[in-house]
Amino acid sequence: MSAAVVDQTAEPAEAPRLRRRRRVSPALWFVAPFGIAFALFFLVPIGYAVYQSLFKTTSSGLGLTAPTRSFVGLDNYGDALSSSDFRSSIGRVLVFGVIQVPIMIFAATVLALLLESGRTYFTRFFRVSYFLPYGVPGVIASLLWGFLYVPATSPIVDVLGHVGVHADFLSSSSILGSIVNIVTWEFAGYNMLILIAALQGIPGDLYEAARVDGAGPWRIAWHIKLPLLRPAIILSTVFTIIGTLQLFAEPLVLKPLTTAINSNYTPNLSAYNQAFSNDNYSLAAAQAVIVALIAFVLSFGFLRIVNRKGRRAW
Amino acid sequence: MRVGSAHRAHRGHALLGIAAVTGALLVAGCGSSGNGSDASSAAPSTTASSGGQPVELHFASWVPNIRNAVDLFNRAHSDVHVTLDDMTAGPDGGYAKLLAAVRAGNAPDVAQVGYDEMPAFLVAGALQDVTQYAQDSESKFVPWQWKQGVFGGKVYGIPQASGPMAFYYRKDLFDRWGLTAPRTWADFAADAAKIRARGSSIVTFPPTQAPMFLGLAQQAGQQWFTPRDDAWDVTVNNSDTMRMANYWQGLVSRRLVQTEPDMSTGWFKDLQTGSIVGWIGASWGDALLRQGAPRTAGKWRVADLPQWANDGRTVSASWAGGSASAILRGTDHPEQATEFAVWLNSNLDSVNSLLTDGYGWPAIADPSHVRSLQDDPTVFKFYGGQNIWDTFARADAGVDVDWAWPPTTDELYATVTDQLKKAVTGGSIPDAVNTIQQQSVSQLKAKGLSVAGG
Repeated sequence: MSAAVVDQTAEPAEAPRLRRRRRVSPALWFVAPFGIAFALFFLVPIGYAVYQSLFKTTSSGLGLTAPTRSFVGLDNYGDALSSSDFRSSIGRVLVFGVIQVPIMIFAATVLALLLESGRTYFTRFFRVSYFLPYGVPGVIASLLWGFLYVPATSPIVDVLGHVGVHADFLSSSSILGSIVNIVTWEFAGYNMLILIAALQGIPGDLYEAARVDGAGPWRIAWHIKLPLLRPAIILSTVFTIIGTLQLFAEPLVLKPLTTAINSNYTPNLSAYNQAFSNDNYSLAAAQAVIVALIAFVLSFGFLRIVNRKGRRAW
Repeated sequence: MRVGSAHRAHRGHALLGIAAVTGALLVAGCGSSGNGSDASSAAPSTTASSGGQPVELHFASWVPNIRNAVDLFNRAHSDVHVTLDDMTAGPDGGYAKLLAAVRAGNAPDVAQVGYDEMPAFLVAGALQDVTQYAQDSESKFVPWQWKQGVFGGKVYGIPQASGPMAFYYRKDLFDRWGLTAPRTWADFAADAAKIRARGSSIVTFPPTQAPMFLGLAQQAGQQWFTPRDDAWDVTVNNSDTMRMANYWQGLVSRRLVQTEPDMSTGWFKDLQTGSIVGWIGASWGDALLRQGAPRTAGKWRVADLPQWANDGRTVSASWAGGSASAILRGTDHPEQATEFAVWLNSNLDSVNSLLTDGYGWPAIADPSHVRSLQDDPTVFKFYGGQNIWDTFARADAGVDVDWAWPPTTDELYATVTDQLKKAVTGGSIPDAVNTIQQQSVSQLKAKGLSVAGG
């Protein structure tokens, strides 16, 4: 975003000095609030994290004397990547993403198309209802679902037990699915709203024209709505990809309830553990930077794939 | 120190945490307003007479109701005024915050720090040497607890309380099934089998509760970490710990114990329904049972931990060590901070107030004058009139006083929890112990510390 701003202002390089100053300074004023906040709360922390990741704090002997801090270059990155726990945490969120992203996008798209089909009752009520979970903080949502997963308190497990199904939502084979469920519950409504906004932006005469040509609701959905929703779906997908890599609150809250989640379950949990329980902020910073780089590569990789000229993914 | 460890408990009961947090907020809300009015009404009258401004100290703690003891101190002192800063329980982020505050130069003067965490604070350079102000107070405290704040002959903290461990059990059910409290671990295993046959479990072996596992290891005999010639000797997988690990693996494999997290919603429900009829817990745990399983009032008793050797001795352990009032680096008033820490933990009124509020076993050398230790109707009633403090006094006397904590305790707990989780879901506890040994060595080395023989 800031890059775009710079480009615009740098473009008229050969323009007269006076004119250029007039054009630039109001623009700067408008950009300043964003720019300052962006720098303070985005660039500076990222820069500090990168800076921190290049140092190591070490003691010697029994550790009775104060520790020393020294520059170690990329050592922390090496330590992070050579840890099998950290590597498997990355693998885990990638698997999680492969399951989570399609479910999320499918659920959000179906909900949006249904609610905007003009054939549902109480549309506003359902729209708000589906969106409501997004207003519940992730920690609270995880606690709520935790109650529904723990056998001692869960009505679901209880009812299933009565009909002879032994459900264990917290075992190592089902825990990832249980987290997918929580995350979908939390964010499907939010993504749905993005898609609904996009649907409402589609001009009504397109539908009219389609209907005149004899298209039914299915054909309209498939040939008009979905293609025009494409940018919004791509946006939702990118958000979801980034969100899955940053998976944190749900496993943190469920961790004490299950033997299936360890302290390095996701990369963010691992970084949290390093920073706040091992007091190793440098390694935590390195891990965080690695997660950010992966998110960057995946998001932009996804955008590149879907936006290939001529050969779009769909 | 109850919460010096109930804090660890927090990890184990996220769900209960909702209730706890809401409760804490309410308490904090009431407390802070109360304190505000106290300060405005009491402070001027006491300080005006002494002329000079009192020294302002900040004390950070998460022990519930410790405000009462702080208020007692403020009322009794005109030259020092202590402000209590509520903080998150140490392992839930409180320690990280304290360490960050020390680095930023705005730390409180005195803070609640677990015995298990003191070496980590020392290694992080976060403790203030107060030997010159504190050394005269040594005789006021139990020697082993005093040593928890002393490193390399220098004093950094004043002991507050320990968490001696014992065996809580449902006397009514034991009686009905013709059982008595197990004297040895062999008895315990035999009882476990008989109780299992009745459809209940004697205890849960909670993989999420690292401090309990360390307590079991401490009771078994040899230590895990020994400072020796400027290097840490790491002997996690010593023969005693391995014996303990194999023993519990046997119980887990035969499904004689459950493996659900203790201090969790499900666990409290199982205690209420009698699905679980015992708990290996610390002295402060009495309050947990009273609050979490109120329907079972009067049915519980407390016995010594089962013993490895049947030689009449009672060997116990202290859950997560205990808790100290540590003086943090950066304080402008180390002398007054020490004075406050000593008073808080040795003044009989203060100790009595702390004990009534359920913070743990007092660290003072002579607890015979602590009123609530002699008679505590609310507590004793829940245990069918038993004076459970006699049992815990015996347990505290039986704690291995040489157990040393490494400067990597939080990592250790995380590793223990991770490995035990793996152990009860298809792995094995002895394997877990071997992995903990390896990882402990590499965690110490990662901090640049020396490890003996490595």
